[in-house]
Amino acid sequence: MSFLERVDQTIRRSPVFRSIFRNPYPNDERSRAYAVMNNVFLHLHPVRVRQHAVKFAYTFCLGGLSFFLFLVLTVTGVYLMFFYAPSATQAYSDILQIQSQVPFGLLTRNIHRWAAHLMVFFVFLHMMRVFYHGAYKPPREFNWVVGVVLLFLTLFLSFTGYLLPWDQIAYWAITIGSNMAGYAPLFNTPSKTLLLAGLEVSGNTLLRFYVLHIMVFPLVAAVFLAVHFWRIRKDGGISGPL
Amino acid sequence: MTDQKAPPEHRVVLPVDPARRTEIDKQRVPMSARPYRLLALVKQDAVVRVQKEPDDTVMTWPHLLSIEFLAAVFMSVFLLFMGLFVNAPLEELANPNVTPEVAKAPWYFLGLQELLAYFHPTVAGALVPLFVLVGAAMIPFVDRENIRANRPSDRKTAVVLFSLFCGLGLVLTFLGIFFRGPGYAFTLPWVSGFHFSL
Ligand code: HEM
Repeated sequence: MSFLERVDQTIRRSPVFRSIFRNPYPNDERSRAYAVMNNVFLHLHPVRVRQHAVKFAYTFCLGGLSFFLFLVLTVTGVYLMFFYAPSATQAYSDILQIQSQVPFGLLTRNIHRWAAHLMVFFVFLHMMRVFYHGAYKPPREFNWVVGVVLLFLTLFLSFTGYLLPWDQIAYWAITIGSNMAGYAPLFNTPSKTLLLAGLEVSGNTLLRFYVLHIMVFPLVAAVFLAVHFWRIRKDGGISGPL
Repeated sequence: MTDQKAPPEHRVVLPVDPARRTEIDKQRVPMSARPYRLLALVKQDAVVRVQKEPDDTVMTWPHLLSIEFLAAVFMSVFLLFMGLFVNAPLEELANPNVTPEVAKAPWYFLGLQELLAYFHPTVAGALVPLFVLVGAAMIPFVDRENIRANRPSDRKTAVVLFSLFCGLGLVLTFLGIFFRGPGYAFTLPWVSGFHFSL
């Protein structure tokens, strides 16, 4: 036995390792079933899936990748939060600090930005793939509605995040975007004050968008994602085959 | 172990259409297609399997999980390279008194901003987005014809309408991204360049 093999064996036989992973590496059908069932993260999946559903060309992994991007955004976002204060006087200089002083700050900000755009894009694509497969038809009507809520949440997660750098792009994009809310008949002023915490984009808006961005929308999205995934299984797994 | 029992399957599982058989299928010979079994040589594990109905499923581990893992790896590598080589935009400090030459909404709202150039603000800014969201949520309850058809060729009306709608959104967004410049006036990107930041 080579040195590495011995190390590997020692680790696998140690009480600590065996307290974490109860079963040996899954090689047969039975242990593979346990591997999925007994793991809190994997048990989101059923033990077996219909074989057309695992083909890349059926889902193009779009829903899964949207979720993966959501996770990436959570991790990078938490890191950015350590170095960012949502005030009109500090936000912009914090971003400059993140880019120049914070270890991996620039990289983290870049990844957070690109992952955010990509997530919006992938959620759109996922919705299209679901439509073209007629996967919103019974019994999946409700999961489609949950999906529409998720689309709305994704858009507003991105939109609220867009303001946070507090630079000219952010300020004016949000001004234009939220002017649209002000065009709602009858309740234009209330809907604008609700969104912006004032009649125009200000430090109050920044705080409001920050809280929505880092707390409210992610939590609500997590709840809807849980329902979305739960319903996929309760509706009999992925739709199809075509 | 008692809680691990799979619930009884009520779904009728049809064998896979021969034209659509994959490698995975070929390994899973349906019992009915096998004229004999060498009972003496079957292993313990295989005897258990004999009692199962033939079906068109595969194990989540490794068939699904490996694909998910690969997709996540590719996405991570892509994001890493994007993050290393393309910087997120950042301009000067926000200044409410200085309207920049080009002021555009984020790209996913640019279609609406483009509509603003043609229609009354109430239409473009409030009624259209409301219609889109509510309309999208209502699709499953409106499209009740051919309720079982899921092939695009069996539901041409739905597919054509949806594609037209997506195409319209795409065109509006493209116009907003590439063909609008200072003051949101119409420009040609090959004449006056791009006025857009992500
Ligand atoms: C944050 C956004 C979303 C995430 C993370 C997400 C995730 C997923 C995942 C992982 C699946 C499994 C199949 C697949 O990957 O395609 C799925 C299926 C599904 N999604 Fe989403 N989704 C999102 C948004 C949406 C939207 C916007 C819609 C539609 C309006 C939608 C409707 C559906 C439906 C109906 C299914 C079942 C599809 C089938 O059975 O073939 N989802 N979603």
